[in-house]
Parts: sequence; structure tokens; C-alpha cells
Amino acid sequence: MYNRFFSHIILAAILIIWVVPFVALITTSFRSEVASKTSGFWTAFTPTELGHRFSTHDKGQQIKIIEMRGNIFKRINENEEWFTISGEIKSILFKARVPDSDKPGKTKLIRKLVPAGEIMNVRGGDFVFQANGDFVWSFPEAIAPKPKNLDVFIKQDPVFGAEAYFEVLLDNKDVPNALISSFIVVVPATIIPITVAAFAAYAFSWMRFPGRDWLFIIVVSLMVVPTQLAFLPILQGLNGLASWATALKQWTTDCELTNTCAFPTKSFAGLWLTHTGFGLPLAIFLLRNYIVGLPRELLESAKIDGANHMQIFVKVVLPLSVPALASFSIFQFLWIWNDLLVAMFIGPSANDDVVFPILLERQLGTFGDQLHLLNASAVISMVVPVIVFLAMQKYFIRGLLAGSVKGG
Amino acid sequence: MRSLQSIIFSNSLAIVLTIVCVLPITAVFILSLTAPIDDAFADFGLWLHKKYSWSEVTFVTELRFAKVGFALRAVLIALFISFLYYWIANWLNFGLANVRSSKSIGKRSLIVEAIQPWIFVGPALILLLLFLLIPALTTLKISFTEPGGSASINNYSFLWDRNALGYIQFRLAMRNSLMWLILVPSLCIVLGLLIAVLADAVSWGVIAKTFIFIPLAISFVGASVIWRNIFAGGGIEPQEAINGVTPSYQIGLLKAILGHTPEYNEPLYNLKFWGNFYLMWIMVWIKSGFAMVIFSAALRGVPQETVEAAIIDGANPRQLFFRVKLPQIFSTVVVVWTYLVTDVLKVFDIPYALSANDDDKLLLATMMEAAMNTWSIGGSNVDNLFAAIAIMLMLTVIPHMIFLGWRIRREQKQLEH
Repeated sequence: MYNRFFSHIILAAILIIWVVPFVALITTSFRSEVASKTSGFWTAFTPTELGHRFSTHDKGQQIKIIEMRGNIFKRINENEEWFTISGEIKSILFKARVPDSDKPGKTKLIRKLVPAGEIMNVRGGDFVFQANGDFVWSFPEAIAPKPKNLDVFIKQDPVFGAEAYFEVLLDNKDVPNALISSFIVVVPATIIPITVAAFAAYAFSWMRFPGRDWLFIIVVSLMVVPTQLAFLPILQGLNGLASWATALKQWTTDCELTNTCAFPTKSFAGLWLTHTGFGLPLAIFLLRNYIVGLPRELLESAKIDGANHMQIFVKVVLPLSVPALASFSIFQFLWIWNDLLVAMFIGPSANDDVVFPILLERQLGTFGDQLHLLNASAVISMVVPVIVFLAMQKYFIRGLLAGSVKGG
Repeated sequence: MRSLQSIIFSNSLAIVLTIVCVLPITAVFILSLTAPIDDAFADFGLWLHKKYSWSEVTFVTELRFAKVGFALRAVLIALFISFLYYWIANWLNFGLANVRSSKSIGKRSLIVEAIQPWIFVGPALILLLLFLLIPALTTLKISFTEPGGSASINNYSFLWDRNALGYIQFRLAMRNSLMWLILVPSLCIVLGLLIAVLADAVSWGVIAKTFIFIPLAISFVGASVIWRNIFAGGGIEPQEAINGVTPSYQIGLLKAILGHTPEYNEPLYNLKFWGNFYLMWIMVWIKSGFAMVIFSAALRGVPQETVEAAIIDGANPRQLFFRVKLPQIFSTVVVVWTYLVTDVLKVFDIPYALSANDDDKLLLATMMEAAMNTWSIGGSNVDNLFAAIAIMLMLTVIPHMIFLGWRIRREQKQLEH
């Protein structure tokens, strides 16, 4: 009994530590820019005092008046599409130059918080506001005052909106471009290695040829080679290929006139092949372990019926290996979708062509104080892998176990 | 009559030559043939643009739709070419064998069977050779040459020469790598075991496991963004307000819990030395789910008889776990540990994204990037330096490589048929 109680408590504590960051991410992405950069995400759910700026009236409005009446909330919400501010006004930050008592003839800047109901002198008039936002600005004689910007602190009610998502997806072209680029990279870089590896795995398990076992061991031990080791020569190789292709194009077409001869060294095609090369050892290992375990009688009876290896592979082995193919493809998909390193060294680096992790890494710098945009962008980058992951969890776990639990 | 060997040889040569000629030409041909598709996509984009009167410049819309068009056909062609290879090679193999020995079926199948395995494994072997094995060996060579081409060990001088480029960075990177290597895998394993055991004991364990599992699907950069909300410091002041006079808030949760005041603005992961531990935690958060899943499967695989016998003998839950279950899954713990070690050695994204290559947070992998892209004073030998650090990284993985090779050999022996 005692033990069970502790199990619940400890597991709940761990779960909270794991989940709170997600709450932070999603909450921040649904807040306004001001709210996200001036207060913590945990304050979003309760009334919180936040600063806003409003101007007393529009610029063109230059009629002579003695008294101006208005409402601070109306002014703040006038141009606000997503986040309607409501709540209770606490104070206004009053800044002005007043005669300095210490140094006669000089003025000094004072800053103080003026609470509701207290009169403050703004542009020669008396400015008074109430907690519900109504303000009165009265002057000794009729003048046309210039608009005044004031910083107001409001104990505001929780408000959420999807503004950041709309801004990131529609107004900013980086995120849609990164989504497209990520898909361009991920689809072939998942399907090509799986095709190549399935054929190879079949050959390694059911065909006889000299050096088979040694080749297999070499292939699998390449699994632990750090990918960084291969970057430089691959880049040099791709560079050589690109300059050949450029020369060939110069020679065969009239591209020099339009200045379109150059083939880039860093391209999607290079990224596909590199990802394929890096993914193959694991793919061959997983698939061969699965294909080797298929019942021998099945393949032999197909052979007796006159099927050749190609037919056996396509019609018998492939349909039976769907679970193994699925578990590798989800590994490869997640690995490539989330990869920063290979894409950075081998992939295209133009702003429109970078994949999502690179974009996110750049946004960490550029959106340093636009946290709502940064977080919205991160949420968008995670939607695809998390959905794939949850949908194919079973295969993912099976693949994990095949790779690490003995005999799996 | 020519011998079987020479027929096999000439047939394979014919197949290789045909493939080498036909596939690239087909690819380029189809690529240029389908070029109008891009324009069609751009026109479609323009039509949509006009119909829904989008706000951006028409040029941008056209460009983006042309890009989608190009992407679609490039992807389809790449896939088509890779399937085409198997089809053509197989067809040629049968066709040529047929032509060469139409009389004897036995001989024909001998020829086919001799070539077919290589058609199946060929692409895999060539890709591995071109994109892993040869580059790795070339890197080794580059690391031992001067930019001019002469052999030298100068690229490794950061190991011993105080004045060499990278001396300080290498030491910091090794210190940090060592801390990561010891702390991250151990913490992941302890947490993984703890969660696996606890989740089996409570009714809502499956839900807890799913949530702890999800970070595995998230990129390291994404995780960095997530944890930035927790570790980052001081809210940016609302419109010129002054501390002390106006309310101001901490925007990082952990800093708020620790009671740091808003003017103390530095993110926790920027702290000198201690910042490393916050970066490590992000990795632990991601990888614990991996350990948990495997341990939870392994614990379920522990024979029930042993557990029952222990209970009959009067073992309490703690003894049951430490004396009965843990020893039986110990080999799994070791495997998970080696996997985590390799992952940690290769980790790059987290320190790169959050610490902007601050020397104090360097790891070997980020040091490589720094050598390549930011040490411009290194002059012409940055590439060689890059290679040398890569080799150092490789050296650290070798124990795991040997262990893995040994385990696979043993497994293959069990699977042998």
C-alpha cells in the first residue's frame, strides 16, 4: 500500500517534468507577442498584470476641445485582430520632465506609476482614468492636443489566439518553404534506401555468392561510423560532379547566354544519396534479420513452382516483410526529418531551400524576442513527425527492440 | 564453346555498361521532357493567386508553385530510376543468358544465378563504398596531409601544442564530452528503469509511457526551442518600464522557480561550466523514452518462475528488482548503454543551437563545425583540421564498434541456417 502510493507520486512527478515543456511550447505559441515576451507562459492561465501601450487618440483628429473622453481598452483593441484585451487597469507609467528642486532652472525626468483615479499632468491637461478603462483628459482652455502614447499596466484576463500560426504560415514565406523542402528531402531519402536495402537483405539471406558473410559483417559494422567522418570527401566529390555537369551543360547548350550553367554543389539530390548511404547499414541489418527468419519451406515451394529470385522477392518476401519495412521506414523518416547536421553540410543552403531543423536553428537567432513565432514554428515542425510516430508506434518499438534486445 | 566463367564475366560487363549509360541518360531525358510541368504549376499558382487575391507578390507565388512542381517530378523521377535499375538489370540478365546458351536450361540458370546476387546487393555496396567507406578513408588521409599535399601530423598538433589552433577548444570539448558521456547515458538508464518499473505498477502507466516516449519523435533543435521556454531568463521589459518601479516578470519557468530576478537576464544554459548540465538535460529528456521502452520490454521478458520463486522465498519488492530482475536484463542494459554512448558522442544540434559555439560548451562534433566555419584564422588547413577532429571522434566510437561487431557475429551464429 505504502509502496503503491509512492509509485503514483514519483511517476506523476516525472510525467509532469516531461509534459510541462510541451505545455510551455503550445501555450507560448498561442499568446500575443507582448504577452510572450514580457511574462512567463504559466501566467497565461490566470489574470496577470501586463504592460501595453496606447495612444490617446488618432493623429488626424485635430479639433479644439476642452475635455476628451475615451476608453483605454477601446483604444488598445482598436487594431487588434486576435487578442481582445479585457480586465482591470492597475496603473499608468507617467514620464515627464519637471522642474528640478535641487538645481534651479533645470528640469529632471521623473517616472512613476500613477494608480487609477489620480490626476496626472499630460501636455498641460489633467488626465484621469478609471479601473474600467474610461479616461477623461481636460484642459484649462480649448486646444487641439497631439496624441500621447502612454504605457498602461492592466491586470488582464487570459486570452489566446492563433495569430502566430497565421503569421508564420501565411505572411512569412520561410516556414512553408521549409515544409516543402523537408518533404522533398524526406520522401526519396526514405524510399530509396528501403528499396536498395530490401534487395540487398534478400540477397544476404537467401542467395549464395562468394564473400557473402564477410560483406554482411562489413556492411553492418559501418553502422557506427560517425557520419561526420564522411562529410568532407563527399562534399569534394559532389563539387567535382557539379563542375563536370556545369562543363557538360556549357558544351551542349547555350546556357552561357542566360547565365544558368552552374550546377550547385549542395543539392537535394546529393542529400538524398548521402542519407541513403548513411541509412543503408541499419536498414540492411534490420531487414536481413527479419527476412532470414521467414519460413524456409515457403521460399522453397515457390522455387519448385518455377519462380526465380526476382519473382520470389517481389511476390513472396516483400509482402511478408511489411512490418520490418514499416519499422525501418519510420526510423529513417524521423531521422531525416529531424536531421540538422547532414542537411547543414551537404544540403542546399539557400534561404528558400533549407529544411526545417536548419530554419528553426536560424529562427532561434532571428526570433530571439518573438517567442510566439518561434514556438509556433517549432510546433509546426513537430506536427508531422509526432503524428507519424504515434500512428506507427507499434512498428517503431518493434524496430527498436529488434536492434537492441537480444535475439529480437 | 566458351567457358561458363567468361560468359558470366561478359554478361555482367554488358549489364553494368548498359546500366551506367541508360540510367543517367533516361533521368536527364525525363527531367528535361517534364520541365513544362513547372510552368504549369506556376500558372496554377497564379490562377489561385488571382482567384483568392493573395496578398504577396505574384512572383513569389509563381516561384513557390514552380518549386513544388519541380519537387514532385524530381521525387517521382528519382524513385522511378531506382526501380528501373532493378527491372532493367534483371531483364538483361535473363535475356543475355538466354541468348548465350539457348540450348541448355541448366547452364542458363547457372549463369543467371551467378549474376543475380550482385544485381541485388550491387547498389547497396556501391552506395556504401561511395558514401561511407571511401569518404571515411579519405578523411583519414586528409587528416595526415598538409594543404599542399605533403604528409604531416601537424593537423593533430592541437593535442600537444599550446599555441596550435584548437588547443584550448579541444581540451574543453574533451572535458565536456566526458561529462556528457558519463552523465547522459547513466541518467537515461536510471530514469528509463525507474519509469519502466513504476509504469508497470500503476494503472495509468501506459499514458505516462506514451508521453515520456513522444520526445523521441522530436528534433534536437525542436527540443532546444521547447526547453528554451524553461531555461531562458528575464522577460524583456514592457515598453521602457523600469525595474523596481513597474511590474516585470521572469519568462523562464525554472529561473522563476529558482527565484532569479528579472534583471538577471542570462539563460541558465549560458552559465559558465554549469550551463553544460542544462544542455545535457535536454538530451536526457529526449533519450530516456528510448531506454524506458527497451527496459519495459526486457522486464516483461523476465521468466515468471524466477519472480514467483523469489516471492515464495520472501523477497521484498526492492530485492525482487535488484537481485532477481536486474541481473537477468543486465545484457540489455549494456546494449542500451552503448547505443546511448554513440548517440552522445555524435550529438551536435543541442549545443550548436543553444550555445552558438561558445568555447565553454564545445563538444567534439560542434568543434568540427567551428573548425570548418568560424576559425577563419586557421587559413588553408581548416579542412585538414576538420578531418583530424573527425578522426578523433571516430577513435572514441571504436570500442562500441568492436562490441557491436562481436555481438552481431554471435547473433549471426545463432541465426545460421
